[in-house]
Amino acid sequence: MSRVKRGVTTHARHAKIRKAAKGYSGRRKNVVRVAKQAVDKALQYQTRDRKTRKRNFRSLWIQRINAGVRAVDPEMTYSRFIAGLTKSGIEVDRKVLSDLAIHEPEAFGAVVAKAKAALA
Amino acid sequence: MKTYSAKPADIEKKWVVIDAEGVVLGRLASIIAMRLRGKHKPSFTPHMDMGDNVIVINADKVQLTGVKRANKTYYWHTGHPGGIKSRTAAQILEGAHPERVLFKAVQRMLPGGPLSRKQLTNLRIYAGAEHPHEAQQPEVLDVKSLNKKNTRSA
Repeated sequence: MSRVKRGVTTHARHAKIRKAAKGYSGRRKNVVRVAKQAVDKALQYQTRDRKTRKRNFRSLWIQRINAGVRAVDPEMTYSRFIAGLTKSGIEVDRKVLSDLAIHEPEAFGAVVAKAKAALA
Repeated sequence: MKTYSAKPADIEKKWVVIDAEGVVLGRLASIIAMRLRGKHKPSFTPHMDMGDNVIVINADKVQLTGVKRANKTYYWHTGHPGGIKSRTAAQILEGAHPERVLFKAVQRMLPGGPLSRKQLTNLRIYAGAEHPHEAQQPEVLDVKSLNKKNTRSA
């Protein structure tokens, strides 16, 4: 059986870490011991942030809808708008509503009017 | 469909002028902070400077309710031992830079960080009724008529 030298696998493992740590600052990109910690933490953040991305976007849509609703009708708020939508049975999600508020202000205004009518 | 993100080319920064005479300090500051950040626009993008340029006149005639004019205290530390200093709102309002009361209130309502510091430079506060930005043709924003609680005596 052929002889296995440990340097080869170690070098391969280190090269892999250094490749993943490209673009980091200071010793975090060159020193394997520090780079390994940084890469491990980065992967943890990556896993966590794939989940938080969904919440972050939803909260951004809500902020935009709120701005849109208040711009159309000073008496309405996001909360009252959503309550009105539920009552009138309009099932448009927040992503589409926020896009309407930006690109189709008139259509969005009509939705707000519908929601307000359902509240009364 | 992709969520919209404002690009520098599609950002339109308006100029608004607000008369602060008799308006309650905190309520005014929160409206200004919202305008500076751009949260009143449906296209609000958190990482872009997309708020309006806000001009405030008569900032020295801002209203503080209750006992805050006499009791609200602003602290700073000089760095030396025992170097804590303080001034009340009344002292600042009657001093050389009365507009700093409103500036501080707005600054403390912004989230902080490089973007907030940049947005604060879009705020121009003047103690008197004059401002040198007529060339920008600012739109008048009447804060008093937005809500009846925006004005209150003492």
